[in-house]
Amino acid sequence: MKILIGISSKQYSGPTLDVGMRIASILNSSTTILDVGQKISEFSYKDVSIANELMESWDIDRPGVDVLEWDFEYLQKENYIKKQSNESSFSKNLLVDKGNGRSEVFLKGVAIKNLSLILRNGDIIEELRDEVQSFNYDLTIIGGSGKRSMAHDLIQYIDSSIFVVNNFNQKQKYKILLAVDDSKSTGKALKFGVRVAQAFNIEVDLITISNDQVISESLKKASDRAEKMMRRSGVRSKAQFVKGELVDTLVDFAKEDHIIIMGKSSHSPITKFFLGSKPLEVMQSCQCPVLIVK
Amino acid sequence: MFGFSERSLTNILFWVTRKKWLILSFLLSISFFYFPSPEGLSPEGHRTLIIVMVALSLIISESIPLPAVAILILIMEVVLGVDTADGVASSFMSDAVFFIMGSLMLAVSIVHQGLDKRLALLVINITGNKTWKIVVGFVSISALLSSFIGEHTVGAMMLPVALALIRNAGLETRKATKLSSVLLFSIAYGCAIGSIGTPSGGGRNVIMIGYLAEFGMGKISYLDWIKMTYPIVILQIPIVALILWRAFTPPQKNMDSAVRKLKVKVAKSGKLNSNQIMAITIFLLVFGGWIFLSPIFGLGIVALSGVFFYLSFGLVSWKEINRSTNWGVILLFGSAISLGIQMKETGAALWVAGQTLSFLEIIFQDVTIVRWFVSVIITGILTNLLSSAATVAVLGPIVLDMGGNPIITGIMTSISSAFAYLTVVASPTCMIIHSTGLITSSDYFRAGWKLFIISVLILLVVSIIYWPFIEI
Repeated sequence: MKILIGISSKQYSGPTLDVGMRIASILNSSTTILDVGQKISEFSYKDVSIANELMESWDIDRPGVDVLEWDFEYLQKENYIKKQSNESSFSKNLLVDKGNGRSEVFLKGVAIKNLSLILRNGDIIEELRDEVQSFNYDLTIIGGSGKRSMAHDLIQYIDSSIFVVNNFNQKQKYKILLAVDDSKSTGKALKFGVRVAQAFNIEVDLITISNDQVISESLKKASDRAEKMMRRSGVRSKAQFVKGELVDTLVDFAKEDHIIIMGKSSHSPITKFFLGSKPLEVMQSCQCPVLIVK
Repeated sequence: MFGFSERSLTNILFWVTRKKWLILSFLLSISFFYFPSPEGLSPEGHRTLIIVMVALSLIISESIPLPAVAILILIMEVVLGVDTADGVASSFMSDAVFFIMGSLMLAVSIVHQGLDKRLALLVINITGNKTWKIVVGFVSISALLSSFIGEHTVGAMMLPVALALIRNAGLETRKATKLSSVLLFSIAYGCAIGSIGTPSGGGRNVIMIGYLAEFGMGKISYLDWIKMTYPIVILQIPIVALILWRAFTPPQKNMDSAVRKLKVKVAKSGKLNSNQIMAITIFLLVFGGWIFLSPIFGLGIVALSGVFFYLSFGLVSWKEINRSTNWGVILLFGSAISLGIQMKETGAALWVAGQTLSFLEIIFQDVTIVRWFVSVIITGILTNLLSSAATVAVLGPIVLDMGGNPIITGIMTSISSAFAYLTVVASPTCMIIHSTGLITSSDYFRAGWKLFIISVLILLVVSIIYWPFIEI
């Protein structure tokens, strides 16, 4: 499994980095931390890069390096990278330009598999999308954003599964809330849910929501299958049927103490573009972390 | 759906959302093309205006790379039959483009001489330790230097000086404080007000001079320009410093230890070396050339001679110039000027000028006020949305066709295009200070709107009281 953790600033990205690295190390996946700095207008990008070079000659870090340094210190503190005796702090010499506005920090003594630290500049969705497409990530972990269009663009255009670390509280004991229905994507969501539940040893609430008076056979079967799968994998779980509208019911149930996991919408990209989708609505209205499995 | 895989459908949708302005301007241009030409506008003029509309929407939205916009302008000029390929090619290159190219290359050459440390020493030697004096010093030095060397060079060189002071004052260089805001804006606004001081202060001044000469509307020498505009620069310096000080009064009133540390740091770089002396000498020669030789050879050729000397004396390598010059901007200004010339030649500029005059005259009742409104207010607003040089390139031919003394209108337009205080994209220096992450977009408005109004007023007063006394 390959995980991409998207970071934009020190101010808001603490929980994202923390949750992302915990998931990455427990699942033992190859991980990239991507810092996306602000977009520079094409009229001025050369002037800005000249200014940045001059700043370096004064030993002043160019913008973005401070976020990398913060990442680096976090990784050292949490022992994801081993402290080097002679080189205990972050040094700009470790920053390597990989071309196309992409720089990588050379990390020594990495404690977990294939960890890399990347800096790019530009529009966050374009940069994430390009990174995911070029290096085939399975999961993108990113912080919640106040912008509604951001959630839309993430779900619509990022190819990997997406975990939005929304409103994350480190002291909270979370349970998983898995939305189960008879669609194909539920299968994938279940597999993902099992891995996360096993890794963190947490309980799973399986919820099947329907607006109909009588629950259909296929939904019942889907719920049974899900329960069986949890039992076989040794995950504690509780299955239930709730009557109601999917998005509101799921969001109400999740409150702030669940991590919602659901499969992607089965509609075509064009329908999703114009009419939105259930995962998108959930992401926009819930007050807890959400994982959309693709 | 339609035989496309889900992934390719997503790719198409992504492209469409990112390129919506390109698609929209393409559709609009096709529909305008089939509209009958309005009365008084030739078919060529009609088509030229379509190109202007496409170019403006693509420059503002940045939905395709700027060099692609530049190339599109040239292609459309030929394909829409506005001019022949050779005609477009000759309007594409002019002394103004030589100047923009030369001044960008000069900037690279000067920046790589390590003169920023000297500049730092100069600033603090003049200003001393008081923070308010440092702010005045930053505004003055940025303004005076940028009027000769160009704002992007000065902006890039002053930025590390400001950040070094902030760091030496014991503040984090990554955290926005009042001190960081006041110092960084001193650079950006100082450079903006300085750039009007001489023709070489900014590419847009040269574009205007080029238009005046090309359209046979008059010539203005380097010194005449200085005579007209420098009083404005001098008047603006204390005003900018005062407005910034009031908007972002820092708690640090004294910067003793910061200045001392900076002096120690700069002293390590030693005395001026021979390369630096040579670099300064060449620039002074270029400056002399602009004053005395530009009426014969043109400002652009003089700037390029400077680049020639820097290269042949080995003060800068071609590799460095090639790497750090924004070729895309040069292409875009070449195309924009070519479009400006076509606007004049096809009568499109005259038509727009006429329409604007007759429309605005209903509101203002007086043609002088209308002319003033367009060349000052519209230019000032557009410059904050586009970029100053592109604004002058496109608006220039229109304002020059509005009647009145073209030299006065032209210079007013050039000056107003420096009122780039309100947005990040307005000028390279605004972008440079924004790139540090210490200045937010709303900060520009906070101090900028007052300065915008005062700048307009000063220009008005100077043009009414002072300009009639000097004979241009």
